[in-house]
Amino acid sequence: MTRRAWTALAPFAFCACQQLNTPVYFQPDMSPLTVTGMDDTNGGPSRVETGLTLSFRNPSDDEQKLRSQQAGALGFDVPWIQRDHVHIELVYQVTDNEPPPDPSGGPSPYTGVPSFTLGIDGANEYTKYDENIVSQVLDPRNADRRSYIPLIPVTPQMIAPGQTITGSVREDDFAEAELDLYAIGSWMAPYNAVLINNSQVDPIGLEMVPPNAIVPALVEVDVNFTANRPMTLTYEVRVRDDNDQLLHLSTDTLFSPAPALFQPPAPTP
Amino acid sequence: MAALATSWLLSGAPARAQVTSEPSGAVVFPDPAKFARGLFTEGEVGAVAFFGRAGHAVSPGFAVGARLGYDFTRWLAVQAHALGSTHQIAGDSVLAGQLLQTYQATLEGKLTYRFSQTSIFAEGGIGVERLSTNALYVLGVEPRYRVGLLFGGGGGIDYHSLSRHFSIGVRGDFEVLHELRSSQELMASTYLRYTF
Repeated sequence: MTRRAWTALAPFAFCACQQLNTPVYFQPDMSPLTVTGMDDTNGGPSRVETGLTLSFRNPSDDEQKLRSQQAGALGFDVPWIQRDHVHIELVYQVTDNEPPPDPSGGPSPYTGVPSFTLGIDGANEYTKYDENIVSQVLDPRNADRRSYIPLIPVTPQMIAPGQTITGSVREDDFAEAELDLYAIGSWMAPYNAVLINNSQVDPIGLEMVPPNAIVPALVEVDVNFTANRPMTLTYEVRVRDDNDQLLHLSTDTLFSPAPALFQPPAPTP
Repeated sequence: MAALATSWLLSGAPARAQVTSEPSGAVVFPDPAKFARGLFTEGEVGAVAFFGRAGHAVSPGFAVGARLGYDFTRWLAVQAHALGSTHQIAGDSVLAGQLLQTYQATLEGKLTYRFSQTSIFAEGGIGVERLSTNALYVLGVEPRYRVGLLFGGGGGIDYHSLSRHFSIGVRGDFEVLHELRSSQELMASTYLRYTF
């Protein structure tokens, strides 16, 4: 091809390359999530949970063969949905539906400063983590004052009546959570140490994870929403998929792993 | 000596030019016949704005594009057009601020009327467009995430640089996005054209 022809085609090649690696948004079935802000019957905070499963396709025969070869070379299983190729982010919006204070009305039925908390759990293709299950195992008696350790904690935020707050849980937060879940689910890492510490600051508990391990990405994202006022939460999960593994074509079949629910060891009395 | 002086003075008398024939035609400047014609390419920058339902959900955005075409005659050409634009999701939804790109590829016909260094043109065509994300589907604007048809046209003004190959211009196009129900887009750009 002549130089003249390459020159003419160069702008089109530039435009074509812009199509790479663009995100797809996933919406929960139940949206928006609403909490009343009133304590539940056990005296616990107003809390609601929902989740969504990300739709990936099954690997092709060639891809499966490549995985098997990789697994044979590494000596451990290679996940189909890998953290290095699937990048997840969550964007959320919380609105406080509390009516403005009425001077002529009685005392507010709510207590404390208006605030909300998000805790994000999920599952990779091997293990599912649910902070509610973990909390029950840790402290089965105090249902009203349970402490939760989510896979990804979101800092509690104060919110004014009628205000709307928008935020995001970034891809690097999910990347950290995916490493943590892989470590506790597949490599017997102490879950509380791993979840509480940032692996880039203090990799405590990750000693068992081989350095050449291929970390699986989340295939399910669960959101726990806690608030002490009537509030609504809407969120979308944004997925960037490097290798076109999301389910697009009707000829592809849905990847349906069956991750095992993580059960922490019961605390010793 | 007197004769020599007389002949010298007479030889200094002004000569009378005499036109013996008129030129065959007036000199034309600039001469459009000297402008290059045939295979051409264009690079453009501009903006794309949506109207209709998508106009409420998507902000106007920066666009960059290119054309590759061929002049059959001085007034008729065909061209392939590729355009990409980037936008932000507007409004107060949870996706507000997220980025969205559009990609379009069209095949167009172009009619040109040139007068001296300047020309005006009209163009129109049909093609495909694709949105980079399914954000409009999530927002309830688009029926589902896919590639769609678009068709439309517009016009512009071209100004030749007199360097044979180069010209510049501005154009505006109005496109109907078939898959985005009740939505259209307006594209305005400035371009640099090189004719081989």
